[in-house]
Amino acid sequence: MTTDQLAAPVAEPTAEEAVAEARARVSRQPVPELRACLDLARAYERAGDPARAVQWAFAAIDAGEDLAGWMAAARVVDRCRSRLPARSRSARVAVLGSYTTSQLAALLPVAAARAGVDVEVYESGYGQYRLDLLDPGSALHAFAPDVVVLAVDEGEVHLPPHSDDPAAAVAQELARWTGLWDLVEQRLGARVVQHTFAVPPEESLGNFAARVPGARRTMLHRLDERLAEAAGDRVGLVDCEWLSGVAGKEAWFDARYRHLAKQAVGLGCVPRLARHTAAVLAAQLGLSRKVLVLDLDGTLWGGVLGEVGLHGITLGAGPAGEAYSDFQRYVLELRQRGVVLAVSSKNDEPDVREVFTRHPDMLVRLEDVAVLLAGWGDKPSALRRIAATLGVGLDSLVFVDDNPAERAAVQELLPEVDVVPLPVDPAGYVRALARYPFFEPAALTAEDAARTAQYRARAQAAEEQAAAGSLEEFLAGLGMCATVDVLGPANLPRVAQLVGKTNQFNLTARRHPPDALAAMATDPCTVSQVVRLRDRFADHGVVGVLLATHRDDVLTVHTWLLSCRVIGRTLEDEMFAELVGTAARRGCRRVVGLYTPTARNGQVAELYARLGFTRTGRDDGTGTTVWELGLPAHPVRPGHVAVEARPAVPVVELDAAAPR
Amino acid sequence: MSVEERVHQVIRDVLADDEVVLTDATTAAEVEGWDSLAHINIMFALESEFDVQFTDDQLSSFRDLGELRRFLAGADADVRGR
Repeated sequence: MTTDQLAAPVAEPTAEEAVAEARARVSRQPVPELRACLDLARAYERAGDPARAVQWAFAAIDAGEDLAGWMAAARVVDRCRSRLPARSRSARVAVLGSYTTSQLAALLPVAAARAGVDVEVYESGYGQYRLDLLDPGSALHAFAPDVVVLAVDEGEVHLPPHSDDPAAAVAQELARWTGLWDLVEQRLGARVVQHTFAVPPEESLGNFAARVPGARRTMLHRLDERLAEAAGDRVGLVDCEWLSGVAGKEAWFDARYRHLAKQAVGLGCVPRLARHTAAVLAAQLGLSRKVLVLDLDGTLWGGVLGEVGLHGITLGAGPAGEAYSDFQRYVLELRQRGVVLAVSSKNDEPDVREVFTRHPDMLVRLEDVAVLLAGWGDKPSALRRIAATLGVGLDSLVFVDDNPAERAAVQELLPEVDVVPLPVDPAGYVRALARYPFFEPAALTAEDAARTAQYRARAQAAEEQAAAGSLEEFLAGLGMCATVDVLGPANLPRVAQLVGKTNQFNLTARRHPPDALAAMATDPCTVSQVVRLRDRFADHGVVGVLLATHRDDVLTVHTWLLSCRVIGRTLEDEMFAELVGTAARRGCRRVVGLYTPTARNGQVAELYARLGFTRTGRDDGTGTTVWELGLPAHPVRPGHVAVEARPAVPVVELDAAAPR
Repeated sequence: MSVEERVHQVIRDVLADDEVVLTDATTAAEVEGWDSLAHINIMFALESEFDVQFTDDQLSSFRDLGELRRFLAGADADVRGR
């Protein structure tokens, strides 16, 4: 055989050409369709780029509810995932159904991966769920799920077409379901995600049913309400009654497939059900997105501010103006329920601020916006800055921009950021954003369950109103709590890790080896702070380290660092206040701080100046500056972090516990 | 895309198998993974793709892909003619 015969046929495009062609097709569509995204995902997969393949498979399932498209996307993700790093969150999910849930179980992994959770799914036999729950020898028990999805339909509800005592009938049925929740919790120790009951469109009483309490339709609505009340923070609810309305009841209830194959949910609606089940699951694990980053020109108002000026933008009046106003109202709704708003705009900042403060139809106010970045830099950099300022990860951000090029740049450079594509016509903006499911309010994680009572005890409504507007409010709303420990065997490995790798908030970047740290832990002249931080969303673990040496009446801070995750959260002020307290107790007269510039730690160059220190010297060899503060001093605590200091462990005990 | 290509694409998507060989003579029994559940999914996906509804009989009675394709080609012509 000659090499000519081995060569690929001329007509067959290379993998790279296929990617370029599929990309071009996606770029031509203002809002890329499922099919185009899926083709691009497959092209990336064949080109050996699993990360991009997964990203575009996710874009495909975001774009529509086509069953075949979802199944194909699920397969792309399934094949590529093994070649990518695992997600931070995973869960074992059992789907217990009253109907054929195979499609739901097949699509749940891709929907959950899209929401940031790796799931392993167990599917109970059709209609077997009660038995499976009760039988300790069942495969369900062996699977040991973290989460149980009760995928049930109204056919499973024991309510007659008409009842003379509807209250009792509903109460009895409610008890049956909450009893099932108890079983799941007691027998399996798992969380419940309950599908509420979609109410079928067929109603013999027609319009009249609404005023008949004993009509089945009325009782089903009542049952859903009661289930929601009973669920509280304990059980996640997927509101199938709402979803079926959005999808269309006649598509949701498809008698042919129900009779043919016990499909209680129309197959065209199963992707939507999978998406929302995943959103609720992710919310329960604390993975809901927290920050909405908005563009301005063409997004929050019409027109280009820099060209048309304050009074030339389209807002408030006329069909387009009303559409932008509607969008602002929806954005404000999100803000009121706790989503943090940020702005990234290519404009001069004074012009932007003028619109916020002076335009009569502007509904979103400056005080609603936690971070406003206006300038001429690129959007991916702006998004990075917004995340850093708020102290959240890029995977907390959702980016909304009318400009497809800006969206593409963010998708390309910051795949962790969710991008909501806006349609060309502003009348479709609200729906486009409302379809985005991952702002689902976070239920409490298992670790937070104990604090539920405290949260409830506070005036809950008032708290939600106040949630997260300005940066100050955002910080206050985080419910941060820090624990300050001394350096010791328990935290030494983590401290060594932080000392070794922290670059940005690191005053001297001294990389103490573990044995040096162990020596400091037992040295009575060493003053140390090892700080853990948790907030409403997560326990961040040990994120702050401060090490100082006490000689004569001087306390010298030679090491001070914070993990990137918590920069900008005022934790340094709290640590400093703690330090001043310790110094005073030890009878020190002065605190000395050192700053050694590195390529990455410019952001803390002025920290000591901000904290009230005076510069007293400089070492020209290393560029280290020396800062001094006389005692007594009265540091200001910003008050966003509740600090709990543990008493220093006696040195004797430390000795005994230290590694030999 | 031709009707045949669309039919094949739907089947490949649902079976999640881009390589499966399909011809007019192909029957469900010959294709790996085309079980009763996959059949339901394929028939539903074809209904969506071609905006048609199979009768209850048709859902389980197509002999081979050729018969399915010819029915859908006719239905597709009707849809376009509407």
